[in-house]
Amino acid sequence: MPVLLKSPDILNQITRLMELAKSAHLTQEEHAPSQPKFLTHPTTKTGLMGWLTTVDHKKIGFLYGFFALIFFIIGGFEALLIRTQLMVPNNDLLTAQQYNTLFTMHGTTMIFLAVMPLSAAFFNFMMPLQIGARDVAFPRLNAFSVWTFVAGAIILNIGWLGPILERFGIHGHNAPDGGWYGYAPLTSKNFSPGHSIDYWVMGLQLLGVASIAASLNFIVTIINMRAPGLTMMRLPVFTWMALFTSFLIVLSFPFITIALVEVMMDRNFGTSFFEVSGGGMPILWQHLFWVFGHPEVYILILPAMGIISEILPTFSRKPLFGYPIVVFSGASIGFLGFAVWSHHMFTTGMGTVATAAFALATMCIAVPTGVKIFNWIGTLWGGHITMRTPMMFALGFVWMFMIGGFSGVMHSAAPADAQQNDSYFVIAHFHYVLIGGSIFALLAGIQFWFPLMFGRKVSEFWGKVSFWVIFVGFNTTFFPMHFLGLNGMPRRTFTYDPNLGWNTANFIATMGSYVLGVGIVIYFAVLVYTYLKGEKVKKDYWDGRTLEWSIESPPPEYNFRVIPTVHARDAWWHEKHHREEIAKENEAHAKAEEAHGGIHMPYGSIWPFVAAFGTLIAAIGITALPANPAPGIHLKLGVCLVGATVAFIGIYFWSLEGNEGYHIHLDKDGNIIGEDHGSKH
Amino acid sequence: MFNSLPPLARWGRAFFALASITLLSGCDFNFWRMDGHQSTMVVDGSVARQQLEVFYVTCWVSLVVFVIVAAVLAYAMIKFRARNEADEHAEPPPQGHGNPLIELGLIGASVLSLVIIAVPTLKAIWSTYDVPEAEKKDAYEVTATAYQWWFRFEYPSEIAAVNASGAKAPVIAANELVIPAGRPIRINLRTVDVIHSFWVPKLAGKVDMIPNRANFIFVRADKPGYFWGQCAEFCGDSHAVMRFRVVALDKKEFAEWVEQQGQLARNVAATAVATTTTPQFTALRKFAQNEAGITDKFEVNPLESWRTKQLPEKDENTALIAKGRQLFSAKTCIACHSIRGHDGAGVSAPDLTHVGSRTTIAAGLLENNSQQLRRWIRDPGSVKPGNKMAKAYLENKISLNDEEQVALVAYLESLK
Repeated sequence: MPVLLKSPDILNQITRLMELAKSAHLTQEEHAPSQPKFLTHPTTKTGLMGWLTTVDHKKIGFLYGFFALIFFIIGGFEALLIRTQLMVPNNDLLTAQQYNTLFTMHGTTMIFLAVMPLSAAFFNFMMPLQIGARDVAFPRLNAFSVWTFVAGAIILNIGWLGPILERFGIHGHNAPDGGWYGYAPLTSKNFSPGHSIDYWVMGLQLLGVASIAASLNFIVTIINMRAPGLTMMRLPVFTWMALFTSFLIVLSFPFITIALVEVMMDRNFGTSFFEVSGGGMPILWQHLFWVFGHPEVYILILPAMGIISEILPTFSRKPLFGYPIVVFSGASIGFLGFAVWSHHMFTTGMGTVATAAFALATMCIAVPTGVKIFNWIGTLWGGHITMRTPMMFALGFVWMFMIGGFSGVMHSAAPADAQQNDSYFVIAHFHYVLIGGSIFALLAGIQFWFPLMFGRKVSEFWGKVSFWVIFVGFNTTFFPMHFLGLNGMPRRTFTYDPNLGWNTANFIATMGSYVLGVGIVIYFAVLVYTYLKGEKVKKDYWDGRTLEWSIESPPPEYNFRVIPTVHARDAWWHEKHHREEIAKENEAHAKAEEAHGGIHMPYGSIWPFVAAFGTLIAAIGITALPANPAPGIHLKLGVCLVGATVAFIGIYFWSLEGNEGYHIHLDKDGNIIGEDHGSKH
Repeated sequence: MFNSLPPLARWGRAFFALASITLLSGCDFNFWRMDGHQSTMVVDGSVARQQLEVFYVTCWVSLVVFVIVAAVLAYAMIKFRARNEADEHAEPPPQGHGNPLIELGLIGASVLSLVIIAVPTLKAIWSTYDVPEAEKKDAYEVTATAYQWWFRFEYPSEIAAVNASGAKAPVIAANELVIPAGRPIRINLRTVDVIHSFWVPKLAGKVDMIPNRANFIFVRADKPGYFWGQCAEFCGDSHAVMRFRVVALDKKEFAEWVEQQGQLARNVAATAVATTTTPQFTALRKFAQNEAGITDKFEVNPLESWRTKQLPEKDENTALIAKGRQLFSAKTCIACHSIRGHDGAGVSAPDLTHVGSRTTIAAGLLENNSQQLRRWIRDPGSVKPGNKMAKAYLENKISLNDEEQVALVAYLESLK
């Protein structure tokens, strides 16, 4: 039954409707408070429709995590194929074309479809809990973000169907194979005539839309929806890093968006942004790409630093050492991150002054990064360190990130980088930063927050086994690559000759990658087992310090029975040591809120999903269908228009249904004792 | 005793034992020496040496800082670790929030260690960028142009004969850059298609070859030698097999080489000793995909192998060579390649006037011997996926039977 018809004062509404209809310049439909049947709010919370219509930040976080982990496994499988090809010299497991596709997709998948959405999963799930909010600022925009992300992921990967299409005589479809950084003019129609680059361009565009929408949402949430008393300088560091990351995304993605539009124009409409024959400048692409690409590196690592800054204090049982300095170093990293992009281009012949400037700026960024390491060690100092699995991964992060950081400093010395750039030394460096850094931290975060998210805990024994196997496998894979790079092995090569002294290190690296693969399999097998059958635990399993631990695990839909009032930096730790005063305060607040009509909850909505789905259809039309010959263009245009229409319908009804919600009423233990669908907010 | 270990340590031991057995069997453990043909650690050029010196500075500073920080971290991890249950549930430690003085001190120390890196970095940025002003007069200029997937080298200051009627043009070589040792070389870097990168690790770090951009690189080989180079920017399908060589010669030998490269293609009929051996037109053995094309014999002394290549082969078969020359036109090789003084005016593929004097073919990938030459011309696509020659074979339905392969190889080998 339509929700609004339940309303007791339907007469009232009709009166209002008539009044509105009288107003001269507005049509009746635009202002109708009572809505047509298909605009009723979905109330189902389970099953497929429950997931498609959800606006609950925890469920959306779970969706992000779910898709991210699937793509993490896919990207890892691609990496294992790459390593298998390079196990011995002159191997012929893969063709050159397959290899190039694999390294392109491995990079793109791991960055955009695994690490970024996994960070977004934690932002979604944890950040509102850490700031004492009941949801993000724009719940439906949040749903739109996750579904657009899925659409982008589909477009990026749809080219894998190419070999199947080939059997039906449809040629030119392949997964992207121009490198994750897609340097012009290799991406031009001239050198990549098939559809692979189109998939890459459009896939990244959609992911950009998803990321920017999500980031704006997080920024507004963090600025506006903090619990009373939660001043900015009391924010948990993870939330700080979520804020910085979101700003980095909002500020850096427009560069790649513009650049991708230009590639698309070059490929489809004959413009010459990067087209050499028309006077275009391929070097422009590199600048645009890295102005985005370098902040992107910090988009990948700042959330990891945030997670570590939560775990180390929790398991040392003392506050983060030098909180303000950790926060400001995060901000400095974010700022400086926009001033160092050309260190990816030290070999492009920029000239001495530009090279020197970017070399010095790059060295500067080592200072705030080093400061974080010092503060993490300061946090451990004098603490009671309990070695649980999340702590193992967190400490593993600190060690590995240090190694990656030092090889990063080596790159900042431009003359040395002239040898290291595009060699395996760089591969070693950024895998230490991105696996030893980001992935270790994300794996730590999963272990850390798993009891909160699902109310179950991972076995310590198996958690530690997975840590050690991953740790050993990771180092065996990537440490030898430093030697390979210094011994002159270039990146992105599908084969090498046996006379160059690279055989042993490559063999060891491949063996290590298998160990790493086994470690990851153990890790996730244990997670799945724990999800289904793990030991159930009560709330605040780790004796946490921040607000997310103050609620039941798994968290109820409304998060907080009473919006907490924050009196100190580690709010929950403070509350645990001032129980009685805070309990009194909370009861007063609960009464006040009940007097205002109970806890407000937003309705679910299918329209964000519809909008994202329409975008997907249009994107398929733009990328997969041929523009020529003449009959093809009609189909292409048709599909694009259908997609645009669906997307428009989604957005139109999304805005039409309004931002209404309902109220729930709780008893003292947090059980829902009543729902109230009548009121208007 | 093994059983008395805690379960995790037992697992760890077993794993390490297994891993070491796997690794020790059949692996030589000298990869840490990093002295391969493309080593950036054992170098033979002044620019590479300066870059290496900067690397060592960064490396030592990093190492010292790492050891200090790691020691403190390890100490903290061991010292403050909760030993047992009681420890874990003890009263929480003092909830200290940090110490600004320590923070500032550490920031100062980091800045200081970065300054140690910055000074030699800045010096080297200027000194490795271009030929030093004082030596500009002595500098030798070459233009390297990258194609998908090979390199063309042009010597603007050396004049070569183009045809019998006396036309002149600069000396042109492909995939093997011959330079005078000891002199500063300024190589102009150009590309005709996508971005490539010029990298001879033992001589200098890489500089990219970017369309619409006039890049250059400064190199200097200490002494005569034979150096391995490779394209270092992903440039499409066959990027991995886009390689080249640099041969540095002393003054006299270099002059001889230039002199020889300036000549028109060698006419074998006039000079060769006729041979009576009947050639065997047997099928060439099958090569595995990506099979290595360099022999151990070549490796022993590559520069000597290069010198040997400058001399005519011992028993040349004039009849075969003549047949090969005729096939070079008939099979439309001339559309892309040129052999000055013989046939062909193609410029989109390597100039083959003196191909027989090069140590490698297919952009430094295969040793220039009759087997590998035949492997290449029989099926270029299997050696270098996606290359233009393979496409031309397909489009023009070109195929070579065993006799044609042998004849063409004989002809190409005669072009010293």
